[in-house]
Amino acid sequence: MRPFTADASFLAGAAGAFVPELTLRVADTLARLRQARDVTVGCSAKRAVWSFGKTTLYEYLPLREAARDAPQRSAARPLLICFALVNRPYVLDLQPDRSLVRRLLDAGLSVYLIDWGDPDDADRCLDLEDYVERHLGGCVRHILVSRGTSSLDLLGVCQGGVLSLCYTALHRREVANLVTLTTPVDFHTPDNLLSKWVRELDTELLRQSGNVPGEALNGLFLALMPFRLTQQKYVRLLAGNSDQRALEDFVRMERWIFDSPPQAAVALAEFVRWFYQENRLIRGTLRIGGKRVDLAAIVQPVLNLYALGDHIVPPAASAAMERCLGSRDYTGCGIDTGHIGMYASRKGADEIPSRIISWLRERP
Amino acid sequence: MQNPFMSTAFKPDLAFTGAAERFFELLKSFSLPGAGAAGAAPDWSALAGSLAGQFEQWLKSSQSAGPWFTAASAPGSGAGFGAAAASFGPLPLGAGAAPQQDAQRSWDLVARLAQLQGQLASYWSEIAHDAAQRFVTRMGAAAGAAPTLDGALKLYELWVNCAEESYAATVRKEEFCRLQAQLANASAALLDEQRRGSVRELRLVRAFGLPSRNEVDALYAQLKELRTQLADLTEARRAKPPQPDRATAGRGAGKRPASAPARDRRSRRARKPRA
Repeated sequence: MRPFTADASFLAGAAGAFVPELTLRVADTLARLRQARDVTVGCSAKRAVWSFGKTTLYEYLPLREAARDAPQRSAARPLLICFALVNRPYVLDLQPDRSLVRRLLDAGLSVYLIDWGDPDDADRCLDLEDYVERHLGGCVRHILVSRGTSSLDLLGVCQGGVLSLCYTALHRREVANLVTLTTPVDFHTPDNLLSKWVRELDTELLRQSGNVPGEALNGLFLALMPFRLTQQKYVRLLAGNSDQRALEDFVRMERWIFDSPPQAAVALAEFVRWFYQENRLIRGTLRIGGKRVDLAAIVQPVLNLYALGDHIVPPAASAAMERCLGSRDYTGCGIDTGHIGMYASRKGADEIPSRIISWLRERP
Repeated sequence: MQNPFMSTAFKPDLAFTGAAERFFELLKSFSLPGAGAAGAAPDWSALAGSLAGQFEQWLKSSQSAGPWFTAASAPGSGAGFGAAAASFGPLPLGAGAAPQQDAQRSWDLVARLAQLQGQLASYWSEIAHDAAQRFVTRMGAAAGAAPTLDGALKLYELWVNCAEESYAATVRKEEFCRLQAQLANASAALLDEQRRGSVRELRLVRAFGLPSRNEVDALYAQLKELRTQLADLTEARRAKPPQPDRATAGRGAGKRPASAPARDRRSRRARKPRA
């Protein structure tokens, strides 16, 4: 790698007085970034309990402190986390002080998580019915059978929230309580830039072109705010108040942001068409496996948490859920952070788990 | 200059170096003669022109091909999302890679992409000039402030705000969204054309006795249908109330069909539905 060199000759006299300091900061930050490059991600112990295709269902092991309440825990209703297909779920368990999973375990909950894995060419024909009925459905059925219970609590995140809504509408008896995080329901709100961009995509071509690499989707997400997401966040490291620990947190997030799995061609094409282009979920015209997905059929308690500064899922896209559900026990709450901040910021790490835990405790 | 758009892989040190270099480039523009120099009337047009030029160049190099299916295989295309496109696998372009008719279609698509990229470039120009204008208008007091590192970082924040605002205003326009979609569709069509029409691919497939893409897809469709039938049967079996075991019920009543072979009877008993 070539060394960083600052050409400061253009800044003469007083104007160039800070250049030596700036150059030192750049060199120092760069050295520390290189040191932090190998940070570990994921902190809670888990074991694989079921798999189907590339999908693996993990069960988190109870924390030592929470294990004292083991009898209570084993009697508690299991909680299944369904993450988006487009990112890796370890962001929910990134590091001990920023882990939704750890907080849930600490509260004595029995937590399961779906990892969709990396679809390859053999999976390019996987469709949304496969993901909802066989992969998500398979996870649910495995948990219900292995725990000898008739229902579980489901926590859907972002696109995983959309899949969770579909599953709950189709299998009402299996889901006792539904929690959704940054989950869009109305894909045609005026502030949804992503939706505007893909509105005229030829989904038939998308389907034929094969799996879409994760890097392509990353490029798309970065292009929503390119200066902040590809420039400013790095320059801000020069502000001089980032200690090594903060820098490691930054690198962990970088690792997650750029670690996106490929997308099965057919499932992605269906998602773009049915949700982003035709807005079928809120219009009540979505069918999965021949069955209509009717949000009004969701009558169980629902907690919907969304980010007020979300540039990927605008708050209005998520808040629209309230008027579509059949549930009389709906709690919607906007959190003052951004999309990724919901899972990984200090504010998100404090506020989101507390809200979920107390809400679930009120609905045993 | 490093540009994070060139690679969307995890390389925080490279991304940081690229951003720092661009930051220095911006400082260079901020300190143009006349831009805030004491005692002289500031030449805002020179500053705006320099900023816009730099910015436009960056936009072109980083996003020239649209976000999804870049035309990285197209001659003369920008770096853009090249890394992403490369992940789609090598594209068999070149003489002899496809029959003449297919090659013609491919080159038509390449020409179409180049034309769309030209249209996109005009938007980058629009964004760059608008951002520079916003920045110059808002600089106000910051322009005369003593040059410190904190001051430079504040100016940078202001610049990013202006850039994002201009970008957001343009990329939300209907015609821009349509253009982005057209670019993505043309890139996908080119990719599809090259994969489908590749003589090389078909020859290899046949030579090794491998199934073609269409054949694999057809097999998958069959498998899916079988899975659906199996799920329906399982569901029906689960929903059906438990039936008395016909073999047991019939015993002693003389109703068991005499013709049923013993092996069948055993297997029927083994498949007794679970209560």
